[in-house]
Amino acid sequence: MSERSGLSLVEIMVSMGILSLILVPVFFTFSSGNRNMMISENEFRAHTAALEIIEQLISLPFKHIPVGIFNSDAITGKTDDDLGIVPFNVSENPDFKPEVKISEIKKNGRLRFKKIEVKIDYPAAKTDKRERKFVLKTLVANEENK
Amino acid sequence: MKRTNKAFTLVEILVVCGVSALFLAIAISVFSNFRQGYSHSESGAILLQDAALFLAQLRSDMNNAVIDPDLPAEQSQNQFNTEPGQLRFKIYDNHEGKILPVVYTISSRDLTRRVGAGSARHLIRGNVASISWQSEIESFAGKASGTIRLGLKLSVNLATEKEKNRHFVVSAKVFPSRLNRQMNSR
Repeated sequence: MSERSGLSLVEIMVSMGILSLILVPVFFTFSSGNRNMMISENEFRAHTAALEIIEQLISLPFKHIPVGIFNSDAITGKTDDDLGIVPFNVSENPDFKPEVKISEIKKNGRLRFKKIEVKIDYPAAKTDKRERKFVLKTLVANEENK
Repeated sequence: MKRTNKAFTLVEILVVCGVSALFLAIAISVFSNFRQGYSHSESGAILLQDAALFLAQLRSDMNNAVIDPDLPAEQSQNQFNTEPGQLRFKIYDNHEGKILPVVYTISSRDLTRRVGAGSARHLIRGNVASISWQSEIESFAGKASGTIRLGLKLSVNLATEKEKNRHFVVSAKVFPSRLNRQMNSR
């Protein structure tokens, strides 16, 4: 037909296809940076909430630290009958579901420690409702009686 | 008439120009979109870092907080001197081995911290929209009657100067556990 040598439409289409195949993952890396940023923001908030609960508990005298399992309903705003106040509270964040487990550690019949375990379930990001978990544990030593 | 010159025709060039313009327009819009998103999340990251630094520093000072020896006994619940723009309390300083005042001050858009007679150091520079602190005290009843719990309620609102409408807001409470135990064992 013609002896002119050039690129055919098919060749161009194929090369554009390959190019976009390469570019798509590149753009995905950019947008995943944004998503990771939102995840670390929520992780920071979960960390802040967990520390808040632990600090409130270890502020109490050892004998008044309540023992048991407390779910998110018990944590937000329920008064402890023995103490006359709310043993712990979290600054409002409806998406976060904290759970607190406090157990006694005894050795040779004497109460030595109370173990506080705070677990927080939180959504990974505003646009990503997948649940993530944040766990923080600490021990409080019984300094009151030897 | 036989064509011997090998060159593009006007139509070919026009088509190529059109296609490449379309391609470029898409690429540029995608890129500028990405740039906007990037600067948005970049300022978010900066604010998150500022907030985390401030909270970590305040927590560390709260852990070292002690009963103010100059405070009269009847005012023993006012361990934190909170004013709008300034927060003051006493800590035990490990380096100097004595009790020193620590002062957090907000001036214009900066937050500084000063210990004792030292110089004020910046914790946040230029990104403070507003920070408020409020001393809170809970008094227990029943079995734990006589026990108190002192805390500091914080609400932090940060924004970069470049993007003033991009806010990072965090509200939290911090509790000086050692100071609380000290007060309750008196």
